[in-house]
Amino acid sequence: MSRLVFWRLARAGLAIWTLASVVFLLSHRDAGAAVQEALAEVSDVQTDRTATTSAERLAAQAAVRERLGLNMPLFYISQGSNQQEPTWQWNGLHNQYHQWATGLLHGDLGTSYRNGQPVASRLGAALSFTLPLTGTAAVLAILAALALAQRLAASPWWQRPVRTLLVTVHALPLFVVALVLLLAFANPDAFAWFPAYGLDQPADVGSGTWSQIATYLMHMALPVSALTITAIPELTLQLDAALTQELHADYATTARAKGLDEGAVIRHHALRNALLPTLTQIAELLPALVAGAVVVEVVFALPGMGRLLAEAAAARDYPVLVGGILLTGAARLLALLLADLFYFWADPRIRWQS
Amino acid sequence: MLWLGLVGLTALLAAALPLPYAPGVPDLAHVAEPPFGAGAHWLGTDALGRDVLSMLVFGARTAVLLTLPAAVLSTLLGALAGGAAGFWGNKARLAVPYWLLAGAGAWWAVRFPGVGVGLAVAAISLGWLFTSWWRKRELASWPVPVNSVVMGAATTLDTIPRLVLVVAVTAGTGVSVSGLLVLLTLTSWPHSARLVRAQMLRVRTLPFVEAAQAVGAPAYKVWLHHALPHALQPLRTALPLSIAGLLGLESTLSFLGIGLPPDVASWGRLMATVRSEPGAWWTFLFPTMCLIISMISLSSISQYRPSAASS
Repeated sequence: MSRLVFWRLARAGLAIWTLASVVFLLSHRDAGAAVQEALAEVSDVQTDRTATTSAERLAAQAAVRERLGLNMPLFYISQGSNQQEPTWQWNGLHNQYHQWATGLLHGDLGTSYRNGQPVASRLGAALSFTLPLTGTAAVLAILAALALAQRLAASPWWQRPVRTLLVTVHALPLFVVALVLLLAFANPDAFAWFPAYGLDQPADVGSGTWSQIATYLMHMALPVSALTITAIPELTLQLDAALTQELHADYATTARAKGLDEGAVIRHHALRNALLPTLTQIAELLPALVAGAVVVEVVFALPGMGRLLAEAAAARDYPVLVGGILLTGAARLLALLLADLFYFWADPRIRWQS
Repeated sequence: MLWLGLVGLTALLAAALPLPYAPGVPDLAHVAEPPFGAGAHWLGTDALGRDVLSMLVFGARTAVLLTLPAAVLSTLLGALAGGAAGFWGNKARLAVPYWLLAGAGAWWAVRFPGVGVGLAVAAISLGWLFTSWWRKRELASWPVPVNSVVMGAATTLDTIPRLVLVVAVTAGTGVSVSGLLVLLTLTSWPHSARLVRAQMLRVRTLPFVEAAQAVGAPAYKVWLHHALPHALQPLRTALPLSIAGLLGLESTLSFLGIGLPPDVASWGRLMATVRSEPGAWWTFLFPTMCLIISMISLSSISQYRPSAASS
C-alpha cells in the first residue's frame, strides 16, 4: 500500500515538475515583453524623469534585464543566432533555468517582476483568502451532494424534476452562475443584499470585531454559493447513479427482506459501496476549485489566488505564474494522497490486499 | 439538433448576412440602448455602442470555428495515441536500424554540430536494412514503450486544471485564433485517449482480432482496419461533450479577457460588458441563452442512441 502510494506520488511529482519547467521555458522565451512591462511600472513610479533618448531607454532596459536576471542564457544549451550556420553552445550552470531550479529546491520561488515582493509571500497572502473560500465551498458541496443523493435514491416524487434541474445546472459554465448571482443579489436595480466588491479595501477603523466578521461573511456568501452550486450537480449525479446501481445488488435485496426501511438500506448498506467513485471525484475537486476560484475571484473582485494568477497572466509576471502552477500541483499531490487514504479506509478489499 | 444546425449555419454565413451594423464598430449615437429601441439595433447595443445582434452572430462564428476543429483534432489525436497505447502496450518493437535512422533524422532536424556524423549513421542504418532485406534475416529490435509515453504525457497534462494551464501558457506565448486552437487541441486530448485506450484493451482480446493476426495481416493493418473502428465507440458520446466543454472554456477565457485578441467578437466577451453596465440586461441575457441552449443540446446529442435495429 505505502509503496503504491509512494510511486503514484513520485510520478505525479515528476509530472508537476515537467509541466512547471515547460511553462517556465515557454514563458521566459520572450522575456522582452516582460521587460517592457516592468519598465512601464518603473517609469510610472518616477514620472518626472522620463528616458527620452534611445540610448537611455536601452540602458534602462539593460538595467531591468540585469535586475531580473534575464541577461543570462535561458537553458543549459542554446542555439546560436547565426542564421547561415546554426550552432549549439553549452552555457554551463550559469543560466536562468538552473538558477530557478536551485532556488526552488531551497524553497525560494523568486521575486515578482512587478513589485519586487517575494512570490511566496504574495501566494501566501492570496491563499489566506482563497483557502476559506474554496474549502467552505468544497465542504458545503460534498455535504449537500451526500444529503441530496440519499434522498434522490429513495425515488421520491420529485426525483425527475430535480434530476433535470441538476443536468441543466451542470451544463452552465461557472462564470454564468457567478454573474447571475452577482446581477441578481448585488445589483442596486434588483436586490442589493450583498456587496459586489471591496473586500480588499481597508476596513473602517471604528468598527469592532463582530462587524468585521459580518462584513467578511457578507462578502464571501455569493462566491461560496457560486462555487457550491457548480460543484453540486456532478457529485450528486455520480453518487445518485452509483447508489441506484448498488440498490439493485443482492445484498440490498437481502437487507430489504430483513424488514429494513429504504432509508436504512441506503444509509447503512449501499452508501459505503457507492462512495468509492465519488472519492475520486472529491480528490479531483480540490485542484478544480482552484481553477474555479480564477473565475469567481475575477467576477467578485476578491484578492485571492485566482485573481493573482489571472493578473499575473495579463501582466506577464512569470515568477508568480510559475509559482501558482507549482502550488496547484501541490494541491493535486495532496488530493491524490487523501484519495488513497480514503480508499484505504472505505474499502476493506484494498486493506486486505496490502 | 435544430438549434445546433442554426448556429452552424449562422457561423458559416456570418459575413454574408444582411446585418444593419458591423460587429466591432461603435455607434456612439446609441450607447447602451435597450432592444427594439430607435436606431434599428434589434437587440440593443452595449456600453460602447456596439450592436448586440451582430456581435452574437460573429461570436457564433468564433465559437464554431474555434471549438469544432479543436474538439475534432483533439479527439483524433487522442484516438490515435490511446489506440496505439492500448493495442501495443509497452511491447511494440522497432528494428534497430529504424531507431538509428530516426535518431539521425532528429540530429539533422535540430542541426547538432557535425552533420557528417548524422549522415554516416543514416547511411550505416540504410545499408544494414538493405543487407538484411537482401539476405532475408531477422533484425534485432528494441522495444518502444508506447503505453508509458502516452499515459505519462496524459498524466502530466492532467495534473493541472485545464483552465489554469491554458491561462498560464497564453500569458507566455501570446495568442491568435490559430494559436489558441493548437493550445486547446494539445491540452484536451488526454480524455479521449484514456477512453479509447480502455476500450482497445477490451477489443484487443476479441476473437476477430486474433483471427486477423492468425491470417497473417501485419500489425499496423490489424490495428487500423480491424481493432480501431471498434475501439472508437465511446467517442460518439465523448465528442459532443468535448465540444461543450471547449465552448465553456472558450467563453470563460474571453470573459476573463485572456484568450482571444480584443477585436474578435465572442459570447464571453459580450457577457463581460455587463459588468461595466449592470442595468443592460440584454447584453447578458442573449449570449447566455445562446450558450446554454448550445450546451444543453450538445449534451442531449451525446445521450442520443441510434436504435438497435439501425446500428
